[in-house]
Amino acid sequence: MRLLKLAIAATAVALIAAPAMAQQYPSRPINLIVAFPAGGSTDIGARVVAGIAERMIGQPIVVVNKGGAGGQVGWTELARAKPDGYTIGFLNLPATNTTILDPERQAIFNEGSFTPIINQVLDPGVVWVAANSPFKTMKDVIDAAKSKPGTVRAATTGILSDDHLAILMVEEANPGATFRIVHLLGGAAQMKETLGGNIDVSFDNVGGIVPQVRGGQVRALAVMDIERSKFLPDVPTMKELGMPNVISSSTRGIAGPKGMDPAVVKKLQDVLSKAMADADHVKRLEDAGLAIKIMIGADYEKYYKETHEKAKKYTEWAKNRPQK
Amino acid sequence: MVETLQHLMTGFGAALTPVNLTFALIGCILGTLIGVLPGIGPAAGTAILIPLTFQLDATGAIIMLAAIYYGAMYGGTITSVLINVPGEAASVITCLDGHAMAKNGRAGAALGIAAIGSFIGGLVATILLVVVATPLSKLALSFGPPEFFALMLVGLVLVTSLAGESLIAGVLMTVLGLLISLIGIDPVRGAPRFTFGIPELYDGLGFIPVVMGLFGIGEILATAEKPYREVIKTKLSGLIPSRDEWRRSMGAIWRGTGIGFFLGLIPGVGAIIPTFMSYIVEKRLSKHPELFGTGVIEGVAGPETANNSYANGAMVPLLTLGIPSSPTIAVLMGAFIVNGLTPGPFLFQERPDLVWAVIASFFVGNVLLLILNLPLVGLWAKILEIPYQYICAGTLLFCMIGAYSINQSVFDLWVMLGCGVIGYLLRKLNFPLAPLVLGLILGPQMEKSLRTSLEMSAGDFSIFVTRPLSASMLALAIVILVLAALQFAPKEIRDPNAD
Repeated sequence: MRLLKLAIAATAVALIAAPAMAQQYPSRPINLIVAFPAGGSTDIGARVVAGIAERMIGQPIVVVNKGGAGGQVGWTELARAKPDGYTIGFLNLPATNTTILDPERQAIFNEGSFTPIINQVLDPGVVWVAANSPFKTMKDVIDAAKSKPGTVRAATTGILSDDHLAILMVEEANPGATFRIVHLLGGAAQMKETLGGNIDVSFDNVGGIVPQVRGGQVRALAVMDIERSKFLPDVPTMKELGMPNVISSSTRGIAGPKGMDPAVVKKLQDVLSKAMADADHVKRLEDAGLAIKIMIGADYEKYYKETHEKAKKYTEWAKNRPQK
Repeated sequence: MVETLQHLMTGFGAALTPVNLTFALIGCILGTLIGVLPGIGPAAGTAILIPLTFQLDATGAIIMLAAIYYGAMYGGTITSVLINVPGEAASVITCLDGHAMAKNGRAGAALGIAAIGSFIGGLVATILLVVVATPLSKLALSFGPPEFFALMLVGLVLVTSLAGESLIAGVLMTVLGLLISLIGIDPVRGAPRFTFGIPELYDGLGFIPVVMGLFGIGEILATAEKPYREVIKTKLSGLIPSRDEWRRSMGAIWRGTGIGFFLGLIPGVGAIIPTFMSYIVEKRLSKHPELFGTGVIEGVAGPETANNSYANGAMVPLLTLGIPSSPTIAVLMGAFIVNGLTPGPFLFQERPDLVWAVIASFFVGNVLLLILNLPLVGLWAKILEIPYQYICAGTLLFCMIGAYSINQSVFDLWVMLGCGVIGYLLRKLNFPLAPLVLGLILGPQMEKSLRTSLEMSAGDFSIFVTRPLSASMLALAIVILVLAALQFAPKEIRDPNAD
C-alpha cells in the first residue's frame, strides 16, 4: 500500500514537474549553432535574430560557429545534442539534405535527426554573368550550352550545394544543354573568378549578388523562384522563361535535435516568430538582400520533407553524371 | 589627384572627430587583445563584436571593426616573441626568429621593430590603396586558379631555403605538412579522406591547434627538461633596436611592405602566405642565411611588416570590387552589409564620406597602434623576467584555453597536445618546423587551385602553360629549383660531416 502511495506521489510529481520545466524554460543561455564560419550570410541572419530574440526570451542566445565540411560538422553536433532546448541550430536546405543523401559523406545524422522549429530565410537561386559577358539573357546561355555542349564553364559555390542542383535542373529542362561544371568554394571565390573571366556563368543566390548587381559589375539573368525577387525586380523568373520546374533556393531555418518537448518547441516558435517579425530584423535582413520567409510547425516540416525528396533525385543524378 | 586629396582631407575630418577617434582607439585595444589570445583569431573576434556595432552609426562601426582587424595583426606578435605561441596564424613565422631574439635578451628590439615595421607597412599600403587601388585590383582578377597554383608551386620550391641545415629534412617536413593537410573532406568532391569515421576530422586538423602545439607546447617540453633556466635579463639597451639592427631591418621592411600589399590584392591568398614569402625572401637575400632561426632581426621585421601591409592591401578588392579576400575581410564585409552598406565601386559614389573616413581612419589607426605599442614594449619584455616555471604553467593554460575556444572542442585540445609531443621530438631530432607549417598552409590552396584549373579546362593540363602569367611562374619555379640544387649539392659534397 505504501509502495502504491509512493508510486502515485512520484507520478504526480513527475506530471507536475514536466510542464513546470517547460514553463521555466529557458533558465540558462541557449546555444544557437551555425554550421558555417562567422561572417557568412547564415551567420549574419543568426546573429541578427539572436540579438533580438534574447531580449524577448530573457536569456542570452549565443551564436556558436561550428564551421567545416560544408556544414556537416555543425549539423553532426546539433543532431548529437541533448533535446532539452538549450542547443538549437540552423539547417541549410538543401545542403543539409544532400549531406545526408550522399553516401560518400558518411553523415551520422539523417532526415529524422532534427526537430524543425521555424524557418527564417528563403534565398532564391539566381543565374548571373559578369557585366562584360556576351551572354545578355538566359536564352543566350542555354543556346551556347546546346551548340557547344560541355564548354560553357558554369560555377557552383560547392559540390552538392543548391547551386549545383540548380545547374542540373537547367540541364534537365533543356535537353541537349550541357555545362562544364566548376565547383568553387563559396560566393567570394565565385565572384572573383567570374569577374576575372575564368568562369562564363555562375549559379548562386540572390542575397550573394545584390550588391554587385547594384554596383553594375554583374548581370543577373534569371531567378529560380515562383515569383520575382523584390531585390531584383527587373530579372525574370525561370517560370517566365518557360522552365517552371527550375525552382531552387537556399533556405535557412532553426531546428533542434529530435525528441524535443513540444512545449519548449512552442515557446521557441512564439519568441522566434515575434523576433523575425520585428522591424529591426526585417530591415537588417533586407539590407543584406536576404528574403525573410517565416514557416512554422507543419508548414516548415512539409517544406523540409519536400526539399528532401527533391534533393534525393538530383543528388543521385549528380553522383552519376559523367562529368561531375 | 586633387580631388582624391580633397576627399581624403574630408575623410580625416570625419575620422578625427572625438567619437570616431575613440572607436578607433577601442578597436586597436580590443584587436591587440584578440591578437594576444591564441585561438580567437581576427575573423572570429570581429564577428563576435559585430552586434556591438549595431548601436553605432555605420562610419563608427566600420572604423572600430577595421581597427580590431589590424590591431589583431599586431597583437599576435607579442606572444610569438615572448612565449613562442603564435597569437594568430599570421604570426607563426615570427616565432622562429622573434622568440630566438627574446632568448638572446632582445625581446624589446623584436617587439619594437615589429611595431615600427607594422606601422610603415600599414601606412604605405594605405597610401597605395588611395593611389593605385582601382587599376591594380582589376589586374589582380586576372590571377585565376592556374596562376594561383603556379604561385603556390613557386612558394613550395622556395621552401628549400627554409630547410635549415639539411635539404632532405626540409623536404621531408614539407611533405609531412602537405600530407597532414589532406586530412578531412575533399574540398572538391566531398569525400572524407583519412578521417577514420571521426566527425571531428572531417574538417581536417585545425591549423591553430597544430601550430600552437608544435611551437608553444613543444617549447614548454623542450625547456622543462632542462633543470633550470636562467631568467632572461633584458637590459634597457635591449628595448630598442641597435643601429646595426635598424640598418638590416629597413630593407626587410620595404620588401615586406611590397610583398604584403601585392598579395593582398589577390583575393584568397590569406594573411599567412605573405609572411612566409617575406621570410623566405629575406633568408634568400641575406648574406648569412644560416643564422636565420637564431634571432635575426630581418626575420621579424619582414614578415611583421608584410602582415600589416597585407591587412591594408586586402581592403582594395573589398572596396573596389566588393570581393572579400580573406575570412576576416568577409566578416568586415558582413558588417558593412548589416549596416546597410554594400562594398564595391558603388560605395565610393554612394557614400564617399564613409569610404574616405574609413580610409583616413586606417592612417589614424596605424599611428594609434604605434603610440599604444612602443611604450608597452618594455612592459611586455618584463614578462620574461618571471621565473620560467610560472611562465611555463601560464603558457600551458593559455594554449589550452586558446585551442579550446576556437570550436569549443575538446578534440582540438588533444590535437594540440599531440602536436606538442611531435614538435618536441622534431626539435630534438633537429627537423625544421617552418617547412611543415608551410606545407600545411599551401596544401589545401594548391589542391583547390589545381583541381579548379582542371575543371575549367575539362582535364587538360595545357591550361598551365598556355596562360602567360602561369607559364612564366612555372618557369621561375624551375629556375629556383635548379639554383637550389646547385647551392645545396656542392656544400654537401664538400663537407659531408656537416649536420
